[in-house]
Amino acid sequence: MKPTNTRRLASLVSMVVRPEYSSLLILVVMVAIAAALQRNFFQGPSLLLTIDAFGPLILLTMGQAVVMVTGLFDLSSGAALSLYTCILTYVMRTDQPATGIAAILITFVAAVAVGIINGFGAGYLRVSPVVVTFATSFLWLGIGLFLRPTPGGQSVNWFNAFYDLRNVDGMPSFLKSVSSVVPPVLILILVGCLFWYFLSKARTGRYLYAVGGNEESAYRSGIDTARVQIIAYVINSVFIFLAALFFVGQNQSGDARFGDPFTLRTIASAVVGGIALTGGRGSIFFAIVGALIINLVNKIIFFANIPYAYGTLVAGVIVIVAIGGAQLYSAYGKRAASKGRVQR
Amino acid sequence: MVRRGGPLSKSYDRNKKLIAAFLAIVFLFVVGHFIVPNFLSLNQILITVKLASFIALFSLCQMIVMAAGGAGLDLSVGYTATMTAIFTASIMNGRNENLWLAILVALGFGLAVGFSNGFLSAYLKLPSLVVTLAMSQILQGIINVYTAGALITGKPSPVLQIVAAKSTGTFPNIIFLLILVTAVVMVLLYRTKWGATLFGVGENETAAYLSGVNTRRVRTIAFIMSGTLASLIGLLLLGNMGVAFKDMGSDYVLPSIAAAVVGGVSLSGGDGNYIGVILGAILLQALLNLLVALGWGDAGKWVGFGIVLYALLAAYVSNRRGR
Repeated sequence: MKPTNTRRLASLVSMVVRPEYSSLLILVVMVAIAAALQRNFFQGPSLLLTIDAFGPLILLTMGQAVVMVTGLFDLSSGAALSLYTCILTYVMRTDQPATGIAAILITFVAAVAVGIINGFGAGYLRVSPVVVTFATSFLWLGIGLFLRPTPGGQSVNWFNAFYDLRNVDGMPSFLKSVSSVVPPVLILILVGCLFWYFLSKARTGRYLYAVGGNEESAYRSGIDTARVQIIAYVINSVFIFLAALFFVGQNQSGDARFGDPFTLRTIASAVVGGIALTGGRGSIFFAIVGALIINLVNKIIFFANIPYAYGTLVAGVIVIVAIGGAQLYSAYGKRAASKGRVQR
Repeated sequence: MVRRGGPLSKSYDRNKKLIAAFLAIVFLFVVGHFIVPNFLSLNQILITVKLASFIALFSLCQMIVMAAGGAGLDLSVGYTATMTAIFTASIMNGRNENLWLAILVALGFGLAVGFSNGFLSAYLKLPSLVVTLAMSQILQGIINVYTAGALITGKPSPVLQIVAAKSTGTFPNIIFLLILVTAVVMVLLYRTKWGATLFGVGENETAAYLSGVNTRRVRTIAFIMSGTLASLIGLLLLGNMGVAFKDMGSDYVLPSIAAAVVGGVSLSGGDGNYIGVILGAILLQALLNLLVALGWGDAGKWVGFGIVLYALLAAYVSNRRGR
């Protein structure tokens, strides 16, 4: 082989082994498999159902990705999600539409507080973030159980707007027809994306990566690392809040325990989407790709007719395989990249 | 006044957390006595210690993993114990002659779980909390699959029930077992080369590696010990409860970590005193009793434990920067 070819091959290899591009490749394969298994995968109604099913994990994963980029973890995200649905349905009264506004405001304040408490422990007290958020996850569970010992609660009718505009009374038919094309969860995700886009352009966005890459040097160069870490958890909390709006819109009820299985899936999704476990590397938008992949894996397994009882087992195995695979893959990628450099 | 640097002051410094835990236990019992009659009686204290023994045993798993450093914790202990209990209940079926088989199954099973945890976190360098959380989900999944197809049947062998549930006079037998375990642990960790190696890896991984220790293997062995212990505790839980059920072990995970932190085990590794951990377990159990007596139930239990663990992390583990 001529030297130019070798170099071209090496650069091609190092491009493919970059986690971002390989995750795109996996996504294409997954979509192809899903489309082959489900004939009407690309047809309007079934695509809408798919988006509604995939949306929450995408929102939660974006939050988790922000936290992981900053070199942290959030093991309490599922519990926080449950807590927000409990607060929303605790405050709302079905017959008083105005209580919806109050519920949103109160829950948003609670979400910011949750982010600050997590961030205070990990950032200011400098305790291992996994341990802090493991501790707080039980705090959120307990508070959720106080508010809502059993699943249920009330929700105003217009909260359906976060799930399906067609279920909202008195909604203009024009908007109802929009909803059959663009589901509200997509708008929630778009809001999240715009929020992150502008944030990442601001100084704060770069600080998140700086702290995640090397906390000590970020601190020494004058960044208030504790504040940045608190901000990361608050951003995450806002994403979880958006997901909670969707769930209350969909189920019209709250549940202190339903969110737990999401926690691990958000971490697996972020890792599959190329977010480094060690922080500082990865793109929040590619984390969405990771969430899509994990969602599609679940969908494909569903189509493989695996009994319901296997759900938890399969989910756990997927997490281990995804995280372990991504780790091995990035180790391989580093080796391939360094080989390319040597040949040059 | 105790002279700074004097022998008394040194021993005070070393045992500060033990003294704090002990005072907190006394405080909880006294407060409980004002709220609930008979809270501060020998019987009540012994029941508390008996229930705390299970937390303390689970905490031993955490302590060994934590001592090996790398911010290691084992969140899979609860479901490891549950799974062992469910499968060995049908093996023993209430007969003593099957106990050996049950112990063998428990050992093998704990070994497998511990090895998987250790391999994934030490060799693949995945965060141990994420690995062990996923592992506990897998074990929970296996239990779900098993219970969907078959009923949980069987009873523990009588010997196991005597050890875990019965008392000699007024003293629950499990307390004697805990004392025995404590003696073994103290010798193993503080009087053997293996213990020194374990703490060495936790204290300073690089130094241990450079002096020829296979640090990854030590960490993996720590996880194997944790998994095996958790599996054996599953037998004891089964002996205590008399039947196996789906969530019998999962409630112990958070208290086991909290007790270790109360007992002064460092999350960054290289440190740990099992006596302190036992005090921590008694403290948490006393707190739980108080919350139950106040009628706060499940919600209060998790809020209480969550706050205690968070406050402890802030007080003991915090590595706050001086400004």
